[in-house]
Amino acid sequence: MTAAPDTPSPARPLARVVILTATALGVGTAASFAAIAFVELVSLLNSALLVAPRARVQWEKLPWLVTAATLLVPSLGGLAVGLIHRYLSPERRPLGPPDVIRAVQFHRPLPDVRSGLVSTVTAVLSLGCGASVGQYGPMVYMGALFGGVAQRLRARVPNLGGIAMSCGVAAAIATAFNAPIAGLVFAHEVVLRHYATQAFAPVTVASVTGYVIANVIFERPALFLVDFAGVAHGHEFALFAVLGVLVALAAIGFMRLVLACGPWMARRVAVPALRPAVAGLAVGMTALALPDVLGIGTETLRFATIEGAFGQTELLVLIVAKIVLTALCVGAGFSGGVFSPALLIGSLIGALFWMLASGAGGVPTSGVAVYAIGAMMAFASAVIGAPLTCILIVFELTRNYDITIAAMVAVVFSNLVSHRLFGRSLFDIQLARRGMDFSRGRDRAHLAALPVRDLLSDAAVVMRPGDSAAQVDARLARAGWRQAFVLDGDGRLAGVYSPSEGVCPAGLQFEEDTSLADAMERMRGFVGDAVPVVTREGGRYLGAVSEADIVAAWLDHAARIREEENAAL
Amino acid sequence: MRRFSLFVLALVWAAPLTAQEVTVATWGGAYEAAQRRAILEPYAETTGRAVATVQYDGSVAALRDRAGAEGWDVIDMLADQARAACDAGLLLRLDAGAILGPGAEADFSLRAPTPCGIAQNVYARVLAYDERAFPGVKPTRIEDFFDPVRFPGPRAVQRGPDGILEWALMAEGVPPEQVYGLLSTDRGLRLAFRRLDAIRDEIVWWDDPAEPARMLAEGRAVMAAGFNGRFFDVAAQGGAPVDIVWDGRIIGTEVWAIPAQTDAPEAARDFLAHALRPSSMARLSELIPYGPARRSAFARIGLNPESGVPMRAHLPNAPQHGGRALIRDAAWYANTRDLRQRRFQAWLEGGG
Repeated sequence: MTAAPDTPSPARPLARVVILTATALGVGTAASFAAIAFVELVSLLNSALLVAPRARVQWEKLPWLVTAATLLVPSLGGLAVGLIHRYLSPERRPLGPPDVIRAVQFHRPLPDVRSGLVSTVTAVLSLGCGASVGQYGPMVYMGALFGGVAQRLRARVPNLGGIAMSCGVAAAIATAFNAPIAGLVFAHEVVLRHYATQAFAPVTVASVTGYVIANVIFERPALFLVDFAGVAHGHEFALFAVLGVLVALAAIGFMRLVLACGPWMARRVAVPALRPAVAGLAVGMTALALPDVLGIGTETLRFATIEGAFGQTELLVLIVAKIVLTALCVGAGFSGGVFSPALLIGSLIGALFWMLASGAGGVPTSGVAVYAIGAMMAFASAVIGAPLTCILIVFELTRNYDITIAAMVAVVFSNLVSHRLFGRSLFDIQLARRGMDFSRGRDRAHLAALPVRDLLSDAAVVMRPGDSAAQVDARLARAGWRQAFVLDGDGRLAGVYSPSEGVCPAGLQFEEDTSLADAMERMRGFVGDAVPVVTREGGRYLGAVSEADIVAAWLDHAARIREEENAAL
Repeated sequence: MRRFSLFVLALVWAAPLTAQEVTVATWGGAYEAAQRRAILEPYAETTGRAVATVQYDGSVAALRDRAGAEGWDVIDMLADQARAACDAGLLLRLDAGAILGPGAEADFSLRAPTPCGIAQNVYARVLAYDERAFPGVKPTRIEDFFDPVRFPGPRAVQRGPDGILEWALMAEGVPPEQVYGLLSTDRGLRLAFRRLDAIRDEIVWWDDPAEPARMLAEGRAVMAAGFNGRFFDVAAQGGAPVDIVWDGRIIGTEVWAIPAQTDAPEAARDFLAHALRPSSMARLSELIPYGPARRSAFARIGLNPESGVPMRAHLPNAPQHGGRALIRDAAWYANTRDLRQRRFQAWLEGGG
């Protein structure tokens, strides 16, 4: 651990421009190539391990082989993932967007590089073996890994770490989706959570770098081209809004299940390394009857936009299966995200909604595609908490303006409901459970993550049993304090002593886990030099924090955030 | 100077082999006629070696049964058939670098999906229609083939699952890159046959690739699925006003290969080296609209010597064609033949 950062004086503006641009280009290029390699590796594994339909059908003459692969590949893949996490990763778990958000928001380094690399390898393995997880979460982390390397260069540019990681994230998303605008907005909306020019410019450069590499060098096609002539009826926009609300409810259920599955698996399977294997076996067994649940499901995603590709019950079963299996896989510790499964589940819900509205409801519509795509993005935006990104992804994936407008309606309604009833995103709730709550803004989250314990001052005067009042008075006078903290024989706080009033019970005290944000709230109306800090268990006195230090820390933090959010260079 | 020395070299190499005749197995019809003029005759002239042809139906079975008995030395095959034949050990493995000379491999825009064949030209399965049947709005997209309401009339389709299933999915809006992935699932096949149901009563079947063009000319069909070269021939010879819709074209690769049972492998390799030159490819493309597999051949293609038609515009891989193009996945084709045939037969018999 390094000590508190002794911030060196920033480099000169021109040097900063050069450093930021070089970082954007370097991190962007590396993240983009890595993203392409990631996608290619997964697709290679999918073909070799008979996960992809195109590979499976070519072995159709040996049905036992396909069955064996369906059952064994996800199970053994899960076993490998579990063992690799157990023995090779210091963190012992897959890493993902919440870890990046935490590092960027709190100006901390990412978890160790080795854990990051292991997590990336296990993500390739998980996806390659057909686990029901997403590929974008690991890619976001991988992009941030390169940013983390740039952060270590210790160039004298303020906020470089967060910007470099965001560059990596933006480039990875821009490459993987072939969507540079979405990559740029995603990095700001989900990771950075502000739009300072200092960050915006390099992140844009990185995003475009990713796009150039994906498009000019590798000539990758747009991911999801659809033919759509436009929304035919005005009343359909009301349907899109209703769809958004329904999708949000499903997304909330999905996210709750994802959160619940981890502890549930932990209770059922005692050995952590075996959990992914169990989830993999569940995927394999389901896939025997319902091959659509295997892997990322590119084919299924396309089928959702074709009328009559699914029956009504078939859709319902598939939606439930995909939700449960994804929650199971993520909860069990497969390495992977939730975004791709969210896209798939959302599009299937959209197809089902369209079937009910146009078939049973008899409402004239402009075809299933727009409902499938609207619901797909509505579901995903509720899960990752990024409405703008999702709207732009539709635009860049489909290159279709009319579909984007329609999807926009579904996306905002979905976000409205899920934000109100659940939280901004799955990531934010996961972070909140680890004590980082962004629901009331960045500044509040920062202050809430700072324990007052760090501000303890040894200057406070204590009165131990046996100290006479005169001795304490003399010490107080020397220190310039008006109060001393009275301790009993076991070191517990017994009260507050002042020369004028004698010993009184302490009016306000903090615990070792009290945050700066809580402290500020509770100090409203407090009069005194300092607040004692005691252990929550047993009330042992740890020290005291002076009011002046708390206010100074708060001001410093507010200034730092203000500077970061408004920095031009 | 260089050309002269090459010529001398060819003579020196060819000298001990001149006695041998090269037997080329190919497809017959206009294609073989063009091949004779563009490749076989110039080869016989320069090397002094006699070249004989035999016709076969393109199948692996024919190669297995006839190659030994009839002394085939070189065979013209579809890429997926060559792949299957290669796996069955019926073809010699080829060292393209040694046959073509150093660096030439980079010139190929298409590659054979098998170590036993070298890509020679590309053809396309296209949609063609009879101008007389649609005086007003004409078909422009593959969707129109499956729309008997806007474009009524009989459609000529090959009796088999090749090509038509891909079109059925493209007509559902599936982009070419995803067609084979979707056709690999049971759901995809179901969807394709459902689309085919829409024109079930309008289909007239053909088995001989020359048939669809004739059907259009004779008015037995208004639209037809077939190979671009055949349609071009009918139109060029003034047989009928047939036009090609390039949207949805399925591009296939034709390869040269050497049967394992050949008794003259050296002569066969020598023939391949000649046939795979850009100049040979360009000559063939001037006679019949099959696109060259080598990029550098494109620049040499001019007018058809008989009709004076500029041929570059009629090649399936001409860069100016818009619309969707699907590159036929030969490996997938070879490995799914039985499954597709089975499903197709079931559909034909009314099962769907």
